[in-house]
Amino acid sequence: MEYDENGVSIVSNDFKKEIFEEAKKDFRYEEYVRGCLNCGVCTGGCPPHRFFDFSPRMVLQNCKSNDPALVWGMMDEYVWACFQCFTCAMICPFLNNPGGVIAILREISVRRGFESAKKVLKPYSRVLLKLTAYGNQLSPDMIQPDFFPDWGPHIGYASEDLPLKRKAIPMPTLQVTNLAWDVAPEAMKELYTIFEEAGVFKIIEVVDPSLYEIIQDIVDDVRSE
Amino acid sequence: MAENILVIGGGPAGLHAAIELAELGVNVSLVERDTFFGGNPKKFKYKYLFPDLQPAENVIGELIKGAESNNNIKKYLSANIESFKEDGKKFSAVIKSSTGSETKTFDSVIVATGFEHFDPAKDSKYSYQLFDDVIDIKDLERMMGEGNFTRPSNGKPPKNVAIILCVGSRDRHVGNQYCSRVCCTVSVKQAIELKEHFPETEVYIFYMDIRTYGFYEDLYWKAMEEHDVQIVKGRVAEITSGPDNTVICKGEDTLLRGPFEIPFDMVVLASGMEGGPQSPEMADKLGIELDEHGFLKQANVTLSPFKSNKDGIFLAGACTGPKAIADAIVEGGAAAMDAYIYAKKNS
Repeated sequence: MEYDENGVSIVSNDFKKEIFEEAKKDFRYEEYVRGCLNCGVCTGGCPPHRFFDFSPRMVLQNCKSNDPALVWGMMDEYVWACFQCFTCAMICPFLNNPGGVIAILREISVRRGFESAKKVLKPYSRVLLKLTAYGNQLSPDMIQPDFFPDWGPHIGYASEDLPLKRKAIPMPTLQVTNLAWDVAPEAMKELYTIFEEAGVFKIIEVVDPSLYEIIQDIVDDVRSE
Repeated sequence: MAENILVIGGGPAGLHAAIELAELGVNVSLVERDTFFGGNPKKFKYKYLFPDLQPAENVIGELIKGAESNNNIKKYLSANIESFKEDGKKFSAVIKSSTGSETKTFDSVIVATGFEHFDPAKDSKYSYQLFDDVIDIKDLERMMGEGNFTRPSNGKPPKNVAIILCVGSRDRHVGNQYCSRVCCTVSVKQAIELKEHFPETEVYIFYMDIRTYGFYEDLYWKAMEEHDVQIVKGRVAEITSGPDNTVICKGEDTLLRGPFEIPFDMVVLASGMEGGPQSPEMADKLGIELDEHGFLKQANVTLSPFKSNKDGIFLAGACTGPKAIADAIVEGGAAAMDAYIYAKKNS
């Protein structure tokens, strides 16, 4: 993939148009993109705007411009800067929903397996594995210093002696560290059906083929039990 | 025999309509819910009126004097219409006031029940009523009318003041999609008054659009050129407490500076106009229509703006939508003419 001076991947104009049309075809698009007079209240209230070059007002304006190139310009890094807190949607006087537009664009990026989506989702592969394979989002053994720098200097202590600490919790904890709670095999099988029907497995296959293989092995095991 | 016409509402529009009709020899019954005439300008002690900054008292005082001194106008204060029904081409109304109930027959009716100021507490992002130094235009107007320009929290002159436009207007979240028409002009006027009182105070106006229509454009030129008022494009997203007893306005300067968080000593919210609870009440009582914005509906916005959908009932002033005092007075006169013609034809 080649990139221009703004870090935006270079694709044909037809492809940009195709992506924009795909976004506009989404059933939510019409509801999320209404009128906009550049009042800036969305960006003024936007938490990531304080840290990144990200502005919900620009998201809306780019969409309103009807220029596929401007929309494509957001597909690489830009859409991933949004926190998805929907403060913008809460305060926009027109009832626009820039955060919702971001969700639509992200879904396109994931569905089509764009490089940026793969890159952004990589750190979540452990969570994806845990969730899709065991129905748990986070288990104690996932608390490791490398993965939770945002927990601060005490992450080291928090990640040590987990079985012992687990015993000290005054509620049923299964006495294991690889699961947060027990999910019955029947529930897991139902979960797999839901993931299959909803296209979740398909998305994982697109963005992370090796993770998909690991998950499928577990799925096959549980199903054959 | 003289015609009988009922005027409901004793603000600028109702007072002017009553006076004009009385001058024509009509027996006018002027019904006002408050204990005084003059409407919102009197109630909230408006100080100066745009565009020429003449004292509000001169205008409203003149109207009140005109109505009070005219014997053709029967005045009812602290009064309301208890019941109302059509009686052929005429109308029968029970007027309840402090002196008791009175049943009267009228040839026509003028509704001039006005508007209510939007309550900024309904839009939580502005923290109105949370911080003493966040006030709205009617609060500031009253304060200035009392000769007080200082911060509500400590009585000291403000070092800087933010004026935020379109509060409660043009906002689908609060349910008011319309422009309230006068707040821009009132706000710019107030900015000039603040600067005249405290030349050292920095005054910012945060706008989405500035709609000082017609000749009122001169006002913001004056504000910028003579008083160095900072006019910034960007709607404020949030007001929080700041250091040293300040309030922080957070938003985006969409043209120049990008995101900003500025501590202010005082924030003035340009709250808009609403039809108030009296509009549906009138619609219900008189059997006339309400529009989608919560004001009383005109029969034809262009051709017959002073007629309601019911023959013989006419509308004047801000009860049909936000407007300036000058426009309300004009409409009082126009509705008086319509009501007089109807009464003349049918009496």
